[in-house]
Amino acid sequence: MNNFSTVDEILDFAMDAEQKAVDFYIDLGEKMKNEEMKSVFIEFAQEEVKHKARLMKIKEERIFEMSAEKIADLKISDYVDTIQITPEMSYQTALIVAMNREKAAFKLYTRLSAKTDLPGLKDMFLSLAQEESKHKLRFEIEYDEYILREN
Amino acid sequence: MFDDVKYLKFKSYLNTYCPHCRNSFNVERKDQKYLVYKAIYKEQEIELKLSPFLDVFEVESSVPIDINDKLTDLLCPKCKKSLIVEEPVCGECGSPVAEMIITAFSKLIPFFICLNHGCTWHGLTKADQNKIKLKIPRQEMPEQDMKLRAANHTEVPYGYTTELAQLEAGRCLQCKEPKCVKGCPVNIDIPTFIRLITEEKIDEAAKKIKERNVLPAVCGRVCPQESQCEALCILGLRDKPVGIGNLERFVADFERKMDLVKVPIISNKLNKKIAVVGSGPSGLTVAADLVQLGYSVTIFEALHESGGVLVYGIPEFRLPKSIVSFEVDYLKKMGVRVEMNHVIGKTITIDELLQHFNAVFIGVGAGLPVFMNIPGETLGNVFSANEYLTRMNLMKAYKFPEYDTPKPRGNRVVVIGGGNVAMDSARTAIRTGAAEVTIVYRRSRQELPARHEEVRHAEEEGVKFMLLTSPVRYLGTDQAMLKGMECIRMQLGAPDSSGRRRPVPIENSNFIINCDIAVVAIGNSSNPIIFQSAQDIKRNKWGYIEVNPETNETSKEFVYSGGDIVTGSATVIQAMGAGRIAANAMHNKLSAT
Ligand SMILES: Cc1cc2nc3c(=O)[nH]c(=O)nc-3n(C[C@H](O)[C@H](O)[C@H](O)COP(=O)(O)OP(=O)(O)OC[C@H]3O[C@@H](n4cnc5c(N)ncnc54)[C@H](O)[C@@H]3O)c2cc1C
Ligand code: SF4
Repeated sequence: MNNFSTVDEILDFAMDAEQKAVDFYIDLGEKMKNEEMKSVFIEFAQEEVKHKARLMKIKEERIFEMSAEKIADLKISDYVDTIQITPEMSYQTALIVAMNREKAAFKLYTRLSAKTDLPGLKDMFLSLAQEESKHKLRFEIEYDEYILREN
Repeated sequence: MFDDVKYLKFKSYLNTYCPHCRNSFNVERKDQKYLVYKAIYKEQEIELKLSPFLDVFEVESSVPIDINDKLTDLLCPKCKKSLIVEEPVCGECGSPVAEMIITAFSKLIPFFICLNHGCTWHGLTKADQNKIKLKIPRQEMPEQDMKLRAANHTEVPYGYTTELAQLEAGRCLQCKEPKCVKGCPVNIDIPTFIRLITEEKIDEAAKKIKERNVLPAVCGRVCPQESQCEALCILGLRDKPVGIGNLERFVADFERKMDLVKVPIISNKLNKKIAVVGSGPSGLTVAADLVQLGYSVTIFEALHESGGVLVYGIPEFRLPKSIVSFEVDYLKKMGVRVEMNHVIGKTITIDELLQHFNAVFIGVGAGLPVFMNIPGETLGNVFSANEYLTRMNLMKAYKFPEYDTPKPRGNRVVVIGGGNVAMDSARTAIRTGAAEVTIVYRRSRQELPARHEEVRHAEEEGVKFMLLTSPVRYLGTDQAMLKGMECIRMQLGAPDSSGRRRPVPIENSNFIINCDIAVVAIGNSSNPIIFQSAQDIKRNKWGYIEVNPETNETSKEFVYSGGDIVTGSATVIQAMGAGRIAANAMHNKLSAT
């Protein structure tokens, strides 16, 4: 695992991760059989592009806010079984893919924050973790609202 | 004319009093009951006896009174004061009227009778009518005893008797700007059909409803009136709303049972053909509307019975199948062809249909079950509600071996979900002999999406509710059959930006429920079969068809759609409303070509 010594390094790493997510979704979209699912993944990729742009702005302006806001965790992805990615996958599966990715990112930043004692870096990681949990919540709410509609 | 007192029960016994001295006019001797008065007739004082039963116009007098002769006066036999009032006058013949006081719904209310012998007018003032209406309690439908019904598949409510229907209809205030109509997704003229019930013109009431709704016997039973028309009923502000759904059901049943349903003769046959894919409520509505306009309509249905969810989903005890088949037969009598066992997309494609038909309506519903994607879902005896209900309802598994499909073996049933589908599954399980049936639902009682009536019925029949609980995995035996379900307790989090409190698992609160059948009833989504050969029909990310909401036409010209395949799981009446929009638009377009 990388060793980070500056905030810029962290931001570069995070931007790279967002770019990987963009590529992942675009690649997945291309594999999809039907048009609707293709556009779903393009939409997901566009969201990641926005996340990357946000990080870029932080890097340029050197301002980031640590908010005290507690992001709800519906823990939906904690309890879903492993899924298979196929060209015919449904929107439900796509949401699970997205929730899992955001969860993994959240966990990564939380772990990294625990590993450093430098206050600036710790806050940066925590703030990134918080961002990822927001992204996860957006997918979880959609899953809760539509997939678990009568549950 | 005696409509004014229709909301008092027909032939009800009236307790009458003098408005001056409050002495009673009622006299009871052995089995004889009358009201006794003094009257002045042709300048003579005579004794007059009237029947105390409302609408029984028997008059006995010491001197014969000629028909259409007026009494000069009517007096209290005790205080001798005149009962004649200046206002009002008879609503029928304009003669003077006498006033007395009656008790109705524990109130004292002025009641008037006409002094013209032979005129049967009697009534109340408008203000008093409304006061009385507010006092009539909502009439609930009699129901099968809860112990008895838990062991049979017969419908639970018996429906109103004519008397109860009249009484309930009498509660309607006949609002000038009726809110109820706005709450009805197809805008049935509710006050008018209710008024026609009070006038005993049930066949006309049925016609009035059918102007807007072709399946009233179905909707009267399954529509969520409590969140539609009845939710807006003015009476609901002070009391319980008018039982609009129960009245709709009464009218439709009366019409059917009394053989009043007439098949219209369709004279102007058009040389145009319509294909309807799916025989659920949306497809049936399209077929009914267009066949009456002269189109030749063919319904293609994948299953061996028509009616969609009405036959394979909603159980017999909530919607008798004979009602659905009656409606389908009615369509057939009007000339609609029904082709069973035709899976469109497999046997014939939409493009092929378009070669033979001028337009196509897709009403295939949302029949693909959604699972939670938790470990163990592939174990034996973990069913989707669709499969479970289809086996039980359509295949009549509970009648095995008389019917071919065996019912799943198991005694302890868990049903996951809290909607109508979950309640129907649980109540079916109870009726097919399960020893223990438990509904497992992630949210709290308040959020249960099922109709209140369904939840009440389920509880009465012995279904247990495990709320704020979510399954996390199924446990199996060595033979991969279900033996239990691990659950976790949930709590509702703080309201989010949409104001909804979402359930969140409580860490380490896991526990195991022993069960041998699980029915997953958490929702449905669209079935892709039909689209495999029709990629040009635009769908949204959920797989539902995108339509122009004004016409319900899809991205493919001459192909229309509506119902659950457009909206996702919704309601029967919404599917019917969508069918009507499509039928109108199809007619407009085809008339112009
Ligand atoms: C168990 C249960 C209980 C419900 N309870 C209520 C209730 O109390 N009140 C209420 O208002 N709503 C209730 N609903 C919802 C309601 O039944 C639906 O919203 C309504 O039936 C949708 O009508 P539809 O015409 O869109 O399709 P459906 O009723 O789903 O009918 C679609 C039809 O199309 C056929 N079909 C599918 N694919 C093809 C194909 N490729 N080719 C040919 N035919 C095909 C199907 O076999 C089916 O017959 C309930 C639903 C369920 C499942
Ligand atoms: S709102 Fe209620 S009281 Fe008024 S017309 Fe409708 S059913 Fe009757």
